[in-house]
Order: sequence, then structure tokens, then C-alpha cells
Amino acid sequence: MIRSRALAAALPGFALVLSVTVLADAADKKVIRLWQTETEPQTLAVLNQTAAEYEKTHPDVSIKIEGLAWGDLEKKLTAALAAGAPPDATHGQPITCVSFAAKGLLRPVDDLADSIPKDNLVDAFRNLCRWDGRTYGVGHSPASSVFVYRKDLLEQKGLKVPRTWGELVQVADALREVKDGQVVRWGLTMTGQPLFINIAVGELLKTNGGRLFDAEGRPTLTERPVIELLDFYKQLNRVLPPGWTGHGYLDTFANLANGKAAMLYQAYGRGVGYIEKYAPKEIADPDHFAVADKMVGPSGKTPAAQLDCEPWMVFKDAKGGNEAVDFLRFFFRDENYIPYLHSVPIHLLPIKKSTYRNPRYADNATIRKWRSWVDMQGKYFRNDWIKPVLVTDWDDMTKPYLLEVMGSGILVDMVLDSVKGMPSAEAAARAQKRVEELLASSGYLKK
Amino acid sequence: MLWILPALVLIVGLILYPVAYAIWLSFFDKHSFFPAERWVGLGNYARIAGDAEFWDSLWKGVVYAAATTGLQLVLGVAAALVLHQAFRGRTAIRALVLFPYMIPTIVAVIVWRWLLNETYGVVDDLLLRFRLVREPIVWLGVDHMMTSLIAVSVWQFTPFVVVSVLARLQTIPLELYEAARVDGASAWARFRHITLPQLRAVLFVVVLLRSIWMFTKFDTVWLWGEGAGAGREIRTLPIYAYMRTFTYYQAGFGAALAVIMFLMLMAATLVYFRLFWGEEEAA
Repeated sequence: MIRSRALAAALPGFALVLSVTVLADAADKKVIRLWQTETEPQTLAVLNQTAAEYEKTHPDVSIKIEGLAWGDLEKKLTAALAAGAPPDATHGQPITCVSFAAKGLLRPVDDLADSIPKDNLVDAFRNLCRWDGRTYGVGHSPASSVFVYRKDLLEQKGLKVPRTWGELVQVADALREVKDGQVVRWGLTMTGQPLFINIAVGELLKTNGGRLFDAEGRPTLTERPVIELLDFYKQLNRVLPPGWTGHGYLDTFANLANGKAAMLYQAYGRGVGYIEKYAPKEIADPDHFAVADKMVGPSGKTPAAQLDCEPWMVFKDAKGGNEAVDFLRFFFRDENYIPYLHSVPIHLLPIKKSTYRNPRYADNATIRKWRSWVDMQGKYFRNDWIKPVLVTDWDDMTKPYLLEVMGSGILVDMVLDSVKGMPSAEAAARAQKRVEELLASSGYLKK
Repeated sequence: MLWILPALVLIVGLILYPVAYAIWLSFFDKHSFFPAERWVGLGNYARIAGDAEFWDSLWKGVVYAAATTGLQLVLGVAAALVLHQAFRGRTAIRALVLFPYMIPTIVAVIVWRWLLNETYGVVDDLLLRFRLVREPIVWLGVDHMMTSLIAVSVWQFTPFVVVSVLARLQTIPLELYEAARVDGASAWARFRHITLPQLRAVLFVVVLLRSIWMFTKFDTVWLWGEGAGAGREIRTLPIYAYMRTFTYYQAGFGAALAVIMFLMLMAATLVYFRLFWGEEEAA
């Protein structure tokens, strides 16, 4: 009894000593905060494992990695910057990186880029984020948006894979299935999430030979390719599920995997995980869920897709900037990088040529099974058919205001105005005026 | 005097300073995170006056606040009257009614978005099964985004009205009803001439608070529309002020919008007070 009382009395003391020790230990360490957009549990586990490995050889550093939803990243970064508490390093869209670099918020990361080194970077991603001759961002892993279709359903109906915008609408119409007066399968699914409408506008405009800005940086929304794009959206609106403007990115994967839709225009390699998890086992393979070139618009010549490759960027005022770069060098070592890529194998592709050649990278069952999906993305990389969000030409990466244009939602409003029935020319003219006003009021454009 | 100092510091630090800073900021062309600012005087206000987006979001905000406050009031009073009656299981039902008000907004929004999804949601499925509709209703699409938001907001916030009104109902002397019954007053007459006048003060506070809170409501509206292009159908003034500040990066413009919202609410509150006290005095 006496012993247990003594123990009970001693316990709070032990707890206090333990807490003080832990806190003192934590206080001695320099905490490096990294924000990144890969939120799948297995990826976070790999990143945390890499951080733990790094900390073993750097006992004075504590790496804190936080996963943030892709669609929220820009807003959260802005709020953190406004509060004066950004992380040390973060992912961001390439246009975010350029915007931040232009505003003097970033630390150059030439040291990180040189450590890869440059000729080891996949050619298309060497200049993802450069400003005034310096490198401010190094992509963690590139991916291309892909067009996915149910090969078996097209074959059953004797349909060919669409090659043009017009054919896409026709095929989507033909693939729609109705039972007892209800649509049980839609021909096509697309997300109405603002970020993805921004992505689609840039991507579709590129496939239609169009652009968002002229060489002087003035918006060009009243040009013919944009009007054609808005007309195309009107047609898409007829064949998409009626609630598509409210459908999230993951809803569209669910629609495809569950058989609620036969084609997905804005798919990514990540979708393979959903197909394997939710589609019937006997069809969860690339023979049923096939990929094809994206469709070309009436004024365009080549397909185009969106480059999904957030650069790692380091804030200029970060107290742990050098340590963050050192950790990222460690992250890009194949022994750490390959497990990271394998955590979402068809979506996280290597940015280093040497990793592509590494037999350990290719030794992955999912990559072997879904090889056609990887090859399709490789085709886009090789042909330079991919561009970051809202970029229709690499020269657009010198425009530091694309982030503001994306965040304003003006292009999303333009698409929705058109979809709701406003004449395309009027919707485009309204958006043109709003972008001009935005750029003028932000000091980017003379009135 | 010293004993009121902590309260004074809190009021100045947490209320007066932010309001004063927002007013000060509204006179600048200020980037949201870049240390660049330029004095523009009333320039932001002049721009707002000519900004179609502002007028559109103001209208949406008024529709949202008026519809949700009105519905909460009607349903809340009705529910409180029912819950004031004696019946078996009343205590359990009273606790259940509070449930929507207790769950976190993010949970409520996620659950309702899931229930109302027209592709796999339970609500449309039931409507179709019982042949109440021929086609699924696209609750989260451009046409019904505002309606579904209003419905969910009413579901979420009506318990506040129920609790406030129920608390007051329990303090009304029963003798008043008994006397009215003896005089032959009908149920409607008892409600109109006894219950409503007794509820007057509490309804005054409830309408005031709920309309202010609904007009400035951010979390439910933002989460309901976030992640959907159709979200612009519910782009109310607080959402627009947030967007100007954090996605257009125009902190000065955003602050001016916030100041306008503040002034509108002040003016509406003053008018409301004047009307109420005017009626009180007349009575």
C-alpha cells in the first residue's frame, strides 16, 4: 500500500521530468517545415521515413512534413505568407513559383538543381521555375494529365477513339446508357472544380492553337480559339452529368471506376489506384481502362495536356533554408526517391533520367501492369505537349501574374457563364474586361 | 478603474484594433503578403461602387441571409412550440434537435454534400424510388446550389432558435393561458395574444443575431461552394472579400469590402433597434 502510494506520488514527478527532457530536446533541434501536395497515406509514410533517416545523420534537425490538398495549396500559402509564417520549403504550381520569385519571396535553389545535375533532369522540366537567370524551383515529380476511356464499352458499341473535340462529344453521346428512363452511365465525366477548370482552359486552348496572353502580356480572351473553346464547353455540357460543375476531382475518378461514366477527360495516373480499388476486379486493368491522345480542337494541330509537377521552392526568409535544401538533396537520392515514386507509381514519375534507367525503379508490379499509362505520359513529355496550368507557351512562364489570374476565378466564371447560356463571345468579352482590370489594378498592365 | 483594465485591453486588442486596422487598410492599395502599399484614399470604395461582382455578391448575401433567417425563425418557433408540449420521449427529442448545432461545420458539409450528390447520394435515390421526381435533382449544380446551401444552413442553425424560444416559453406563466382558456380564447388566439407578445424580446435578439451571423457566414458557404465551379452561385460578400484578399492578393480592396459589410450591418442594426424600440414605446 505504502509502495503504491509512493509510486503514485512519484509518477507526476517522472512525467514532469520526462516532459521537460523531451521539450528541451525539441528546443535544441532546428525544426524545418515542409508543405507538400502528396497526401496519400502511403506517400506520407515514405516521406516521414525519409525524414527519419535524414534526422539520424542530422540530430540537430527535425523535419516536419505536412500534406496539403492540391486545390488548397495556393490559398494556404498565401494566408501563411500574409501571417508572416510560411514553411521553410513547399510545393507550388510552377506559376506560383514564378510569381513568388518575381516578388522576391524565394531563395534561389541553383544549389539543389545543380546537385541533380541539370543534364540528368528530364529535358521538359529544366526550366520549370526560373526568374532573372536563377532557378527557384525543382519539380518533385512530373506527371501528365491523360484521357482515359473504357475500351471494352467503345468496342461493344463499335465506336472509335475520338481524335477531335467534335468526335469526343459524339462518342460521349453514343456511350450514354439509359435504363428505365434513368441515365445509368454517362459517356463522359469532367470535374467542375475551379482549379481543374483553369487547367482545362489552358490545356484545351493549347489543343486549339490558342493562347491566353499576347507577347505584351495583354489577355487575348476574345480571340477565335477562346470563343471556340467556350462553344465546345456548351457542347460538353450536353453530354456531361448535369451536376458536373459541382463534381470534385475525385468524384470523376469514382464515376469512372464505378462504371458511372465511360470516359474521363482530365485523368491522372493517380486514377489507377481508384480503378484498382473500386472497379470490378475482372476489368481493373489497362485493357479496359485505356489511355489515348487528347483530342484536338478545330483550330489546333496537336494534342496538349497539363503538366502536373510542383516545384519544391524555399522561402528567402526561411530560417532553415539551407537545411531544407540539404534535406531535398537527400530526398532526390534514388534510395529515397524511388520508394517515394513507388508510393503512387503511375502518377509520380521520375524527374531524373538516371532514375528511369535504374532497374530498381522499373521493378514494380504496378508500373509493369499499367505501362501504357506511363508510356502515354512519356509521349507527352517527349513531344513537349505538356505545359503547366494556364501556360500555353513556355514564354508565359515569364508572366508573374498567372497566379492572380488563376486565383481570381475569372476564367472559371467565363466557362460557367458560357455553360449557363451566355453567348460565348459575350462571356469571353466580360472575362477579358475583368482580367484587364485585374492586371491594371495590380500594376501589371497599363490601362 | 484598474479592475476594468483587463477587459479594456481585450476589447481594444481584439475588437477595436482589428476594426480600426481594417478601416486604415481600406485606404491603401496593399498587396496581401508583399510589403508594398500605396495610399489611394477612397479609391478602393470608388472601385467597389463600379464593381459588378460586388453588387452580385451583395445580392447573393442578402438572399442567403434573409432566406435562412426567415426559415430558421418559422421552423425554430414551430419546433419550440411542439417541444414545449408534454409528450413521451420529449427529453430525448429535445436533445436530438440540438444535434445539428453541435456537430462541426466541416462534418455537416461533407455529410450533406455526400447525401445530396446526384450520382450516388441517398436523397436523390429516395426521391427517385418514391417517384417524387423523374430526374435526379442536381443539388450541387449551378441551378440549385443556393437552394441546397440555404436548406443545409437552416438545418444546421435552426436549433439555436429552438433553444432560445423554448427557454422563454418555459418562463411564461401558465396562469395567462388558463385565464384565456376560461375566456374562451382559441389556440390561435392564445398564440397570437399571449405567446407571441411574450416571445417578442427573445425574437428580437434572435432575429438580430441570426441575420448578422448569416450575412457574415463564411465557413458553411465557403465549404459548400469550395471545390466546385458552381460555387460562384453562392459567392456571398464575405466569400468575395476573402477572394479579393487571398486569391486576388488585394488586401486593401478586401479590407474595403469588409468595412462596407461592417457599415451595412451597423446601419441595419440601428434601423432595427429604432423600429423595435419605437414599437415598444408606442405599445
